[in-house]
Amino acid sequence: MRGLLRTALLAAAALAAPLPTRTDLLAQAAPAPAPPAPAARPAQAPGAPAARLSDEGREDLRRRVATVRRDPNAIPLPADDRITVGARSVPAGTRVEGPVATVGGTLDVYGQVGGDAVAIDGDVVIHPGALVEGNAFSVGGEARAEGGMVLGELRTLQGAVGALPEASEAAPRMSTSRALKLAAAWLAVLIVIGIGVLVAAGEYLDGVVDTLEHNFARAFAMGIAGQLAALPVLVLGVVALAITVLGILLIPFAVVAFALALAGLITLGFLGVAQVTGRWIRPVPRGAIISERGAALRALVFGICGYLALWIVAAAFTWHPLAGGLLRAIAFAITWVGTTAGLGAAILSRAGSRRDTATLPIATPPAQDLSWMTPTPVTGVVAARRPTPASLKEHR
Amino acid sequence: MSSRPLGAPPAALALVFALAAAAPLGAQTWRTLDVSRQLHDSGALQVKVQYGAGRLNLHAAASRVLYDMRLRYDAERTEPLHSFTANPRTLRLGVRKQNVKVPGDRNPAEMRLDLADAVPMELEIELGAVEADLDLTRLRLHRLDVQTGASEATIRFDSPNSEPMTAMRLEVGAASLKALRLANANTRDITVDAGVGGVELDLSGEWTQDINLDVEVSLGGVHVRVPSDVGVRVEIRKVLGSFEHDGLVKRDDAYYSENWDSARHKVRIRAETTLGKFEIDRR
Repeated sequence: MRGLLRTALLAAAALAAPLPTRTDLLAQAAPAPAPPAPAARPAQAPGAPAARLSDEGREDLRRRVATVRRDPNAIPLPADDRITVGARSVPAGTRVEGPVATVGGTLDVYGQVGGDAVAIDGDVVIHPGALVEGNAFSVGGEARAEGGMVLGELRTLQGAVGALPEASEAAPRMSTSRALKLAAAWLAVLIVIGIGVLVAAGEYLDGVVDTLEHNFARAFAMGIAGQLAALPVLVLGVVALAITVLGILLIPFAVVAFALALAGLITLGFLGVAQVTGRWIRPVPRGAIISERGAALRALVFGICGYLALWIVAAAFTWHPLAGGLLRAIAFAITWVGTTAGLGAAILSRAGSRRDTATLPIATPPAQDLSWMTPTPVTGVVAARRPTPASLKEHR
Repeated sequence: MSSRPLGAPPAALALVFALAAAAPLGAQTWRTLDVSRQLHDSGALQVKVQYGAGRLNLHAAASRVLYDMRLRYDAERTEPLHSFTANPRTLRLGVRKQNVKVPGDRNPAEMRLDLADAVPMELEIELGAVEADLDLTRLRLHRLDVQTGASEATIRFDSPNSEPMTAMRLEVGAASLKALRLANANTRDITVDAGVGGVELDLSGEWTQDINLDVEVSLGGVHVRVPSDVGVRVEIRKVLGSFEHDGLVKRDDAYYSENWDSARHKVRIRAETTLGKFEIDRR
């Protein structure tokens, strides 16, 4: 109840005293009833000419002002010969047309300014009765209205000032820590995917690995051909589908399916090439007892780490544009060669489902070695084809 | 204990991290911008606040300013936005662009915004990944539109809005949103579109009129708290969603509270949920 009463009283008070219009405010501010004491206290010695930024020996301050000019959040500043140095005040009862700016001191406004009021490395204080028709702008200090009026904005910049770093204006450059995090994240993701593929589709990965190990050059050539043909194949497929109405409806699905299939082949190929690389980087020590799957996992992890190590090193040099760029180029080239060969092997082996039988060693199943001993040869081995030591030797 | 020489891989790794640590710090890009404008008249204003990532605090101004925004931002990622036009009276504040925050950023951007409590305004707030406290108490809002992406936001009306609000729309993405004491918003129509996030709507406050609440939930959850003396009617459509209610009785196609016919004020809820959860709690 008390709250309601209070709200009602406040509302009544607000209605009784409506906000003044802008004209009213200007009329109030125009006479500028001056507080006599501060107005009689000019910032610089009476009669002394105000120090200007354009004077000799002000290079440091000029550089500082030039930096502020380049800041995207700065307001336009007047020319150097119109900027004073040190504390400055606009006395009550006076009016200054255009902007008033000072550097290295506070700007006290008691009178009227027909433009912006600016202080660099100092405060802008708008005292009671004062009027600023533009903005009040302070860099490194504070722009505040202590009873005076500002028709524009009160704006204060603190911290770093100046133009934005070039890299962020054009293409934002990644920071070193962010690049390292990204490379580490890729490492983790690839290891997880690799383990998943090894567990769920290990035999397909083996097919790719076999093809890579026995015919790397052919796989690399096929990988290049695959990259070149990917887009034309997609376009041809879309055109072929567009012939029929049903086909047109299927185009989006076909495009997504094609992209997924390509991504799958590339991933499978890269994992295959990583496994081959891992075996080369860190072969299983002689005499070590390790299962086939364990050896494959070990090779895969070492291979992925090997490729990603290149990217991590490149990421660590992100802060150095030349070295970072060079290392990224090297990492890209090596990864591209590996991925291309992997893609080619994935295509040749039909996603690992077909081994490269032409190059596989011929192994005779033990059952066949003994099949001739069957009284009635169920597998059709006739006595004339019974293996002899000589034929076995030739076969091997 | 035998000392073992450092192997090549650990040494290389150590070198990489040493180089990364020795990398020169980037240019000082953290800046503070404080902009305000004095209150010169009380004409209605359209305000749009947009903020991508960081912390946001919005309150009614304590002094006679139209707005006062204090922004601490990374100039490499963020471009401050502050524009005011007198005709039509529109105000846009916040940041124009903001790159995605790297997870684990211990130094988030911050924005504090005070808005005039003497000016009737349409307020539109668009948030990305923001931790926001939107205290709309004392603001004279005649329309409110809040869109959040992946934010954790709280909206509060601790005292009645003196301006009749034509509509309030809350659109929540994958985020959590709490809207407290909504009856103080002084609005007849509230629309909530909740995506994956969780939304809590507290309809307490000073009831001056009935409220129509339209809620759409997909995957997320919406929890509505209604004062026990307010009559409740719920029309709900569910697709694999759930509806939990506190003692409502089904009559015809809707659920009613026992005091529906006698209650001085009523809330009519139309809810649609797909794989989401809609819950009503009466206290």
